[in-house]
Amino acid sequence: MRQGSFCYVKGAPVLEGRALTKFYTLGKERVRALDRVDFTAVQGDFTVVNGPSGSGKSTLLNLLALIDRPSEGEVLFDGQPTGSLPERALAALRREKIGLVFQTFNLIPVLSAAENVEYPLLLTRTPRAERRERVREVLAEVGLADLARRRPDELSGGQRQRVAVARALVTQPRIVLADEPTANLDSATGTQIMELLRGLNGEHCVTFVVVTHDPAVIPYAERVLTIRDGRIVGEERRGEPRPA
Amino acid sequence: MASLALRNLSRNRRRTLLSAGIVALGCALSLVVLGFVERSRALIQESTVQQFGNLQIADPNLLDGRAEGFAYLIDPVRRVQVEELVRAERGVVGTTAQLSLSGLLAVRRTTAVVRAVGVVPENGVLDYNDLVVEGRGLRPGDVGAVLVGRTLAEELGLRPGDFLNLTATTVAGAFNVSPLEVVGIFRFSSAEVERAQVFVPLAFAQLLLATDGVDRVVVRLDRLGRTWAAARAIGARLRAAGLALEVRTWDVLSPFYRGLSAFFDLLFGFLVAAVFVLVFFVVLQILTLSFLERTREVGTIRALGTRRDEVFRLFVAEGLWLGLLGGGVGVLAGLGLSLLFNGVGIPWQPPGTVEAVALGVDLTPAVVGIPWTVSVLSTALSAVLPAYQATRVSVADALRAV
Repeated sequence: MRQGSFCYVKGAPVLEGRALTKFYTLGKERVRALDRVDFTAVQGDFTVVNGPSGSGKSTLLNLLALIDRPSEGEVLFDGQPTGSLPERALAALRREKIGLVFQTFNLIPVLSAAENVEYPLLLTRTPRAERRERVREVLAEVGLADLARRRPDELSGGQRQRVAVARALVTQPRIVLADEPTANLDSATGTQIMELLRGLNGEHCVTFVVVTHDPAVIPYAERVLTIRDGRIVGEERRGEPRPA
Repeated sequence: MASLALRNLSRNRRRTLLSAGIVALGCALSLVVLGFVERSRALIQESTVQQFGNLQIADPNLLDGRAEGFAYLIDPVRRVQVEELVRAERGVVGTTAQLSLSGLLAVRRTTAVVRAVGVVPENGVLDYNDLVVEGRGLRPGDVGAVLVGRTLAEELGLRPGDFLNLTATTVAGAFNVSPLEVVGIFRFSSAEVERAQVFVPLAFAQLLLATDGVDRVVVRLDRLGRTWAAARAIGARLRAAGLALEVRTWDVLSPFYRGLSAFFDLLFGFLVAAVFVLVFFVVLQILTLSFLERTREVGTIRALGTRRDEVFRLFVAEGLWLGLLGGGVGVLAGLGLSLLFNGVGIPWQPPGTVEAVALGVDLTPAVVGIPWTVSVLSTALSAVLPAYQATRVSVADALRAV
């Protein structure tokens, strides 16, 4: 495990959630999945949101990733409220400023590793030469330079998650949100993935928010938030940023 | 996006092949049927022009069947004037004049009402001599000679060298009868024409009706496609010259052609609609299933920042690729089938005709282009609804889909 390698350059809040509340309707019942949750991710943070299944952590991640809207409360990105933004503007924010890593990797099966990584750059209309260069760099960063042409079904679970991490990083987003990134991996591979994320935070100051129910992830966190029954019930800061 | 859409077709090859196969089958069948219709239409066009020439110029009352007496006749002075005006038009190969009359044809103890068409023999424009299958055609200098149709000859037992009488009313209203020698038997595509029409020299028709006039000037053009533009131009020339005559094109002159052509259009329209509907609904089902299976993937690409309209375009592009693939294969299969038909030459007798023709398929750009375009469009359109549905699902729900 890498110790003491968090990003020590802290910036302004990137992502904030203010009194986030989310209701779901199950049949005739209205279920409160999140209850007035306040959350802030500062640039350079490595935050883990920990909690059991059904605690509301994925709901929180969906709201922070701007792929779902809160029933009440507000999500702010770079200090700007997002509640009144139209769908197209939210898509643009996700495309350009947010990187996402999913529990089940969610790679496009008909594309190679390099093409999966390239996909977000196609959405941002990045010129071809620059796309190729950035894909090459980021695949090298996650240790998959030699497997760029392989399709997802020709890669192991850990390799697929590395491709997913590369895809999340390739647009140089302001923040990367990871939903249970180790849940579908064996413990050794999970460790490798967490060390990769931690390294990217330490070396490149990429801001991470990882939601997980896996206790093995917690040691990698700079800050741990515990969520239960839709509420943040605890916060622990495990590593202090080094002075500039 | 286009590349991704194409690759998506490789996910489930069996399903893609099934969809493309249905599109190809529809396209190939449409192509063959359209080609057959076009070949049949061309044959009928050819025989219609063979019967009427490209254009006819006559009194509108005659052309509309409203003529009373012989006021419609064109006297020699006006005939020359008309022919000079017509020959000045581009694409005119030549002109000739005709005089038709209704008469009673009598041979031995049998009679038949016929329409005798008086033509200028060997006029180089339209003299019907090329239709003669027995005996000879009309020659310059012939007066009391007649060509009878094959069907009429069979019914009356006529042979070249036989004599018959033709009775008609002169322009002055008197009965006139004159003997004629059967010099030739002609065939025609229509049994009705073979039975009810005979050809006589123009001089004979004029003699029988006791007139020096004609009832129409027939115009032959260098190509069929020029017909309608030439008709407009000649019509304008006639009006400018103060001639109260009208120009009619071959298709207007032949109600049979118009009816058959309309029937062909209806037949092909129905076929195209049937193929369109079949392809549309089958491919709709297949694409709906295919897109449903990828709900989570839609959630993923939406989460990565793909807009709804981009997802929509991606899925419609998939339908378009499928249409291009199926349509392409369909065109190749249709061309193969058509060449096979054309090579084998299956005999077929069109309704109302007396002679079998080789069943053939005309391969024109339209024959190939229309089925292909319909196949591609129907396939692309069938992707629209499932593509729209794919864009409506919420990203969070789509990501949770199994």
